[in-house]
Amino acid sequence: MSSISIENLSIKFRIYHDSSPSLKDYFANLFRRKGQSAYSDFWAVKDVSCEINAGDRVGIVGHNGAGKSTLLKALCRIYESSDGLVSVDGRLAPLLEIGAGFHPEFTGRENIYLNGAILGYTKQQLKEIEPEVIAFAELEEFIDTPVKYYSTGMYMRLAFSLATAMHTDILILDEVFAGGDAAFMAKARARMHEMIDKANIMIMVSHDHELIKSLCNRVIWLDHGKLVGDGSPEEIVQRYLLGKVNE
Amino acid sequence: MKPHTHSFFGELYSSRNVLWQLVAQQLILRYRRTALGYLWTLINPLLMMSIMALVFSTLFNADLKTFAVFLFTGMIPWNFFSSVTTQSGTSFINNEGLIKKIYLPKVIFPLSITSALLIDTVFSFFALFLIILTLGGPLSWALLFIPIAFLLLFIFTLGLGLITSIATVYFRDLQYVILIIMQALFFLTPILYKPEALKGKVAWLITLNPVVPFIDLFRAPLYLGSLPSQSTIIFSILFSLVSITIGLIIFLWQEKKIIFRL
Repeated sequence: MSSISIENLSIKFRIYHDSSPSLKDYFANLFRRKGQSAYSDFWAVKDVSCEINAGDRVGIVGHNGAGKSTLLKALCRIYESSDGLVSVDGRLAPLLEIGAGFHPEFTGRENIYLNGAILGYTKQQLKEIEPEVIAFAELEEFIDTPVKYYSTGMYMRLAFSLATAMHTDILILDEVFAGGDAAFMAKARARMHEMIDKANIMIMVSHDHELIKSLCNRVIWLDHGKLVGDGSPEEIVQRYLLGKVNE
Repeated sequence: MKPHTHSFFGELYSSRNVLWQLVAQQLILRYRRTALGYLWTLINPLLMMSIMALVFSTLFNADLKTFAVFLFTGMIPWNFFSSVTTQSGTSFINNEGLIKKIYLPKVIFPLSITSALLIDTVFSFFALFLIILTLGGPLSWALLFIPIAFLLLFIFTLGLGLITSIATVYFRDLQYVILIIMQALFFLTPILYKPEALKGKVAWLITLNPVVPFIDLFRAPLYLGSLPSQSTIIFSILFSLVSITIGLIIFLWQEKKIIFRL
């Protein structure tokens, strides 16, 4: 049984007023201590606590910049918490931006092995799933062509079939629904639903409230990094939409 | 299983597949679709060194063959050292896209660069070794020391690579500063000349230069046909340990923070 526990999680970003610090600035600031500071702190996620248990299908809603993606990335360990604790029990598959680890000069087949390794598959597993990934992406003809010659649709198809080739305990989705033509979209959607069904825990971020209502059994509402609502999809989405109207 | 209890080496071990993929990526991509392919790894330094041998043997009034062997044996460790230090500097910046999208143990980025360059260097070493032998380099049992020399050089440069990889994230200017330092250090390291040749006011610079014993580690067996001196071995072990320790301390201290600065 998988579970995720988040205790008083806060994540702080430092915003530098001059985007990239240089050695010169660093030394200049050392001697100019009293001047205005070169950065300000920004809390992308502030004091969020919640328990997510097996069977939960969690949707996260909130306006742009509310900290939804940051929270997902903290669960995937991409961001270290500035404060608080995240503990994850179970194998976690991040589907944040599929195709992120693709190398344009590599062929489709080489990218299956490169990106597959990045996604945490072993070489043995990759050998087993390779034919299935290629078949699902319908790329048999072009699999030994460098992916820089792929169309956007081909690229997305390969990335999607690889990322969804294995079932995992905990599924993390950030607005991913693969592109491609209508036939592929239908196939991808079916696979996505199957993956969600088999996952122990699913957490997704989406601005499509109908999608969230149809896939989730729990919704968390983030506002300016704070958790302001946690409950049934109908109730929280309703409150979120009203909250927006009141602004 | 709490995130912060993942051990550094345990994580590294479970990511060995990614590490290998990244190493292969660097080795394959560099010369893909070039007619001579991997041979460029060899031709490029060979041409450079030959020209240097030609010019400097004339300048120093030295025998071309002897000088070429002397130069080549110094250039093998130097080229590795200089490439690792320079390329590690941009290892996180160049992989920013990946680091922001998926969790990977950060150490695999500088480590993959160092490993790929080591493989390159070992390959070109074999070719250079044949050339050295043809030019009259000595064949002796001391050559068995070469793998140890490579190991020490690897540890020493990896430590420095870890430091430059982290430091460059904070100070982007460093990538250019490192290039200049490498150029200065090349002339302050006895590669073109014998250590005792540099006399006078700047001689102390050589005694402070940590790269010197690593040059000797290669030069003694390949050029002199003898084992490196005891002090050379002791100093290179010492410098390797200091470098990797400082490198790891800085790395472990900053590895979780660099994501906010990329």
